Amino acid sequence: MRSRAYDEVTVGETLPELPVPLTRTLIVATAIASRDYQDVHHDPGLAAERGSPDVFMNILTTNGLIDRYVTEWAGPAAEVKAIKIRLGAPNYPGDTMVLTGTVTAKHDEDRRVEIAVRGANRLGAHVTGTVAVRLPGGAES
Amino acid sequence: MAQTEQDGYEKRLGEFAGREAAPPRPGPDPVNVPMIRHWVEAMGDRNPVYLDEEAARRTGRAGIVAPASMMQAWTMRGYAAATAGQDDGSGLGELIALLAEGGYTSVVATDSEFAFHRELTVGDHVGVREIIESISPEKKTALGAGRFVTTERTYLDQHGETVAVQRWRMLWFRPARTPPGGREPAALRPRPAVNRDNAFWFEAAREHRLVIQRCDACGALRHPPGPCCPRCGSYGWDTAEASGRGRVYSYVVSHHPRHPAFEPPYVVALVELEEGTRLVTNLVGVAPEEVEIDMPVALEWLDPDPELSLPVFRPVTA
Amino acid sequence: MSGLSGRAAIAGIGATEFSKDSGRSELRLACEAVLAAVADAGLRPSDVDGMVTFTADSSSEIHIARSTGMGELRFFSRVPHGGGAACGTVQQAAMAVATGVAEVVVCYRAFNERSGQRFGLGRADAPSGAGADDAAFAWVSPFGLFTPAQWVAMFARRYMHEYKATGEDFGRVAVVDRKHAATNPAAWFYGRPITLADHQASRWIAEPLRLLDCCQESDGGQALVVVSAERARDLPHPPALILAAGQGSGDDQHMMTSYYRPEITGIPEMGLVGRQLYGQSGLGPADVDAAVLYDHFTPLVLPQLEELGFCGRGEARDFIADGHLEVGGRLPVNTHGGQLGEAYIHGMNGIAEGVRLVRGTSVNQPPSVRHVLVTAGTGVPTSGLMLGTDR
Repeated sequence: MRSRAYDEVTVGETLPELPVPLTRTLIVATAIASRDYQDVHHDPGLAAERGSPDVFMNILTTNGLIDRYVTEWAGPAAEVKAIKIRLGAPNYPGDTMVLTGTVTAKHDEDRRVEIAVRGANRLGAHVTGTVAVRLPGGAES
Repeated sequence: MAQTEQDGYEKRLGEFAGREAAPPRPGPDPVNVPMIRHWVEAMGDRNPVYLDEEAARRTGRAGIVAPASMMQAWTMRGYAAATAGQDDGSGLGELIALLAEGGYTSVVATDSEFAFHRELTVGDHVGVREIIESISPEKKTALGAGRFVTTERTYLDQHGETVAVQRWRMLWFRPARTPPGGREPAALRPRPAVNRDNAFWFEAAREHRLVIQRCDACGALRHPPGPCCPRCGSYGWDTAEASGRGRVYSYVVSHHPRHPAFEPPYVVALVELEEGTRLVTNLVGVAPEEVEIDMPVALEWLDPDPELSLPVFRPVTA
Repeated sequence: MSGLSGRAAIAGIGATEFSKDSGRSELRLACEAVLAAVADAGLRPSDVDGMVTFTADSSSEIHIARSTGMGELRFFSRVPHGGGAACGTVQQAAMAVATGVAEVVVCYRAFNERSGQRFGLGRADAPSGAGADDAAFAWVSPFGLFTPAQWVAMFARRYMHEYKATGEDFGRVAVVDRKHAATNPAAWFYGRPITLADHQASRWIAEPLRLLDCCQESDGGQALVVVSAERARDLPHPPALILAAGQGSGDDQHMMTSYYRPEITGIPEMGLVGRQLYGQSGLGPADVDAAVLYDHFTPLVLPQLEELGFCGRGEARDFIADGHLEVGGRLPVNTHGGQLGEAYIHGMNGIAEGVRLVRGTSVNQPPSVRHVLVTAGTGVPTSGLMLGTDR
């Protein structure tokens, strides 16, 4: 994996789209990997009793996928400084979430780049938010 | 709830603002490679700095680091706590009990705002201190009536230094009832205001007939109907049965606000019938992004509940 | 020039702060705005003898007159159709003053439209009666079309189709409004401009409308004092002469859903208002130095420019993209920030901005403004004003 340098990045630049197929296994495996055992993330029957049509992805996983999406683009040298997200439509099994991102700001003093991120599924926006990463200064070391 | 009782409840909820949700508590395990591996595999994250010492050092780091987004996971209490229930005598436990008293028994997280002060490395041991910031008034949401509870979580390392701060918002809500076996919303569509001038149309719809009001003097068709012909002034009218074929003249894909009878995004279309009149309707059998103006459509009937039948349209080949 | 032109003037303007939660009753907001406007005109409450508001307002003039010590009133009137009423209230007042029916008429609108009943949530579950106004919604609400944004979206989609307009063309209206609001300390979005990219990234409300195409929901009140032109000359501020005032209801008019006309890309009722404004005042589009165009939703600003003769049919997107709505452009628009940027007070705050433009006191004052055109709500039966400097 190549690391992106701060000077290579321009405001307005877009990140390549990343479709994430939302399998039931992904939703359950990521909930457990984040040590989130709430029934709505793995038990369809109990999820229905709580008013949800099916199990749905937990927020820790949304954070994890956004983190992965931005650092895949930024490369291994990037340090994540902030992840701010708001959830909208749930991620249910059988859907696909498509992640998109746009560079919205650069801060020269600490080589920090801000990226507006959105993850949309069939129902609309699952997540909107911003990620800030600190990038290396020169070319890849 | 009576007003005074309601005021009392609001006051009791309000008293939680500023309270500690839970005393500072270290996570069950220090930062370790097996848990990182479990995380990155599930997330599909192939960044080498999380598992490969050498790769991590090539980026200028001292060694393996944990994914930033994993911060909260290090403090999750896991299976035993999740199944044992939440009321552990902490401020949050008391608040959850009080919310349950108000009927707010279900919860979803809605916002997370993380600022990371440093990366975590293997051996770090993270704990969290959580302060309740605010409890909102009751809000109508797509999930049901609920209250947003906002907290600030400060993540501390083994030296008591802050490694991250997170603003965290959860919606505690009264679950809207779902009918057995279906995703179809239980709520009724808005009722049409039926009066002496428009009842014939809705009655015909109950029989699955799409009719258009026709002036019995000049023959002009009109929709929406009215008591008097704007062209010739006659009060007399009968109806013509529509062929059910038409074209999309314009359309809307609705997302907000959410109404429990409609699952967004849904399509409301203005269809021009081949008879020349237009009507507002819904499109079925087509994804919102595939709808086009001038698309040919044909009539179908929707019976959303026992009292209401509505004409809807499905795209057809010309 | 008609018998109304130049006979009356707006001599005072007054408003509350614009907020999301006023913490006060709607009547209290109305009283504050009215008293501020009366004071701005250099008058006393007891000088007021007429009042006009919207049929939609929750505070009748009697409550305000009683609370503020106005005493007797000899003229009171209300104008229907939501935001379409705004300039109509001033027309009522001007006619009353010009005919000698009243001498000092206050027009007002005040509400807790954000913290109280929010129009934006729509009328899906509004109680429905057997009257024609309620029955009109039977043709739309059961299909899930029950909010102002949705009603406007139907027009916007057709407009895009016929004139190849895009969401960015709508977005440019929001950007210029927010640019103006950013320098207006009274605006809710003071100091918070947006970019076209922000607009394009904002969430869908009712496609093709995004969040940033929709005006705010606001708490607040705004009042205006109308007196004869002669009397206005003796009061503290330079008069904002009412050179023309018109209302318009088009052929086959519905409330926000005039979807059954041969064409739905124009706003014929605004064209009717425009013809009256130009006819009464003897002015034309080229004489208008600035405008306050009703902007509850960005898409309907475009056909307003066309109906009022500032550009040809379908050309508004180019007119806007060329920067003509900016201060320094051909037609500075919504210099206070509009209802997207300043506040949504049902168009009444826009009339106050028209007065400031004539006085030369807008925070974004273009040079040498003599004539300002102000419009009221679109999609509904509407109204408009031509305000001008004295002589």
